[in-house]
Amino acid sequence: MAYKPQYGPGTTQVAENRRKQMNPEYKLEKMRDITDEDVVLILGHRAPGSAYPTAHPPLAEQQEPDCPIRKIVAATEGAKAGDRVRYIQFADSMFNAPSQPYQRTYTECYRFRGIDPGTLSGRQIVECRERDLEKYSKELIETEMFDPARIGIRGATVHGHSLRLAEDGMMFDMLQRCVLGEDGVVRYVKDQIGEPLDRAVEVGKPLDENWLKAHSTIYHSLVGTAYRDDAEYVEYVQRIHSLRTKYGFMPKEE
Amino acid sequence: MTDATYPQYRIISARFLKPDTAERLLNRIVEIGGIRRMSINGPSIPATVPYGPARGKPNPHPDRKVIHIGDQELQLRVQVGTILLELEDESPASAMKEACDEVFGDLGFSYTFQQGRYMKTQPTMSDYAKYGPDADTMVLGLVDPKRKDRFTVVQGR
Repeated sequence: MAYKPQYGPGTTQVAENRRKQMNPEYKLEKMRDITDEDVVLILGHRAPGSAYPTAHPPLAEQQEPDCPIRKIVAATEGAKAGDRVRYIQFADSMFNAPSQPYQRTYTECYRFRGIDPGTLSGRQIVECRERDLEKYSKELIETEMFDPARIGIRGATVHGHSLRLAEDGMMFDMLQRCVLGEDGVVRYVKDQIGEPLDRAVEVGKPLDENWLKAHSTIYHSLVGTAYRDDAEYVEYVQRIHSLRTKYGFMPKEE
Repeated sequence: MTDATYPQYRIISARFLKPDTAERLLNRIVEIGGIRRMSINGPSIPATVPYGPARGKPNPHPDRKVIHIGDQELQLRVQVGTILLELEDESPASAMKEACDEVFGDLGFSYTFQQGRYMKTQPTMSDYAKYGPDADTMVLGLVDPKRKDRFTVVQGR
């Protein structure tokens, strides 16, 4: 019988949203348009239009060792060209952001190739070859996995995911990389590490509270769905906890 | 530190306040009078990028600005989230709560106004070890007494 991934337990909307994001067969809803140049500006790794700096010569120009794994795994575009490894990092507010660090890592592992995600409590970084990164970043920003107000693209000084929101609904950012304009559109005025941009980059309007609540992947008893309301999820986590605790005693069958 | 125990209060807003709102709220509170000590808390907004690849570069931030409270100018260094108050006695507290009701009434989010112990009332052993016997007891536990810039004194009405 072929293995069919279940992606995760749970009967609530939050659990369903988690499964949708992880399932590569589900097409993520496109919410906004960002140009390739805008993505390059926010990432801040190279000047828009400049050539990709390389870490090694293109694979086609070098003799590769005789390795069975290389025969099985096709190189990504970035790896073929010998691009540098660069990153994008997201900070997700606990107030119903559409994604969150663990969720991001699971989702990226199911959907993208050649990545190295790093998961922390309030932020998630993903590293990969530069041109792959730009493609993946565009997808992460344009789709329902992003909200201009509740999610920040922050390479450093990420503090804010667990804090109260600001008066205008934006997540706290020490460096104020994105600003909510009077026309209701959020613009990035600094790149992800906090260096001012030559021109502001529009990332669209913040999504409304009801949409966020319906598309969040975070359990939050005060502003969204409470974790304890999802009996199936709690049962699953308790089972894992119980099994790993018991295994800590190395049980042996007599 | 004096022997008398002064009542302490704190105002916590459900969202961080913009400098203009903070200015309006603080002015309403200061007008009422009867405040011994006041501290404005919240996450820091540094003047320069503190770490990361852009470390040391200027950090222009629209919320890091000068506000006017009473007759004083005050450079905000935080995004205002909590206001701690120590009053001379309990009598102005109800007027302050009314002022908060008015200011937060138009904002669309709530706040809490609580009485409790939020500032140090006497130096601890560690304070003594760190700052010595001559530390300014009025600011102990509120700010780092070794900071070069002083606290702001807002005169009465």
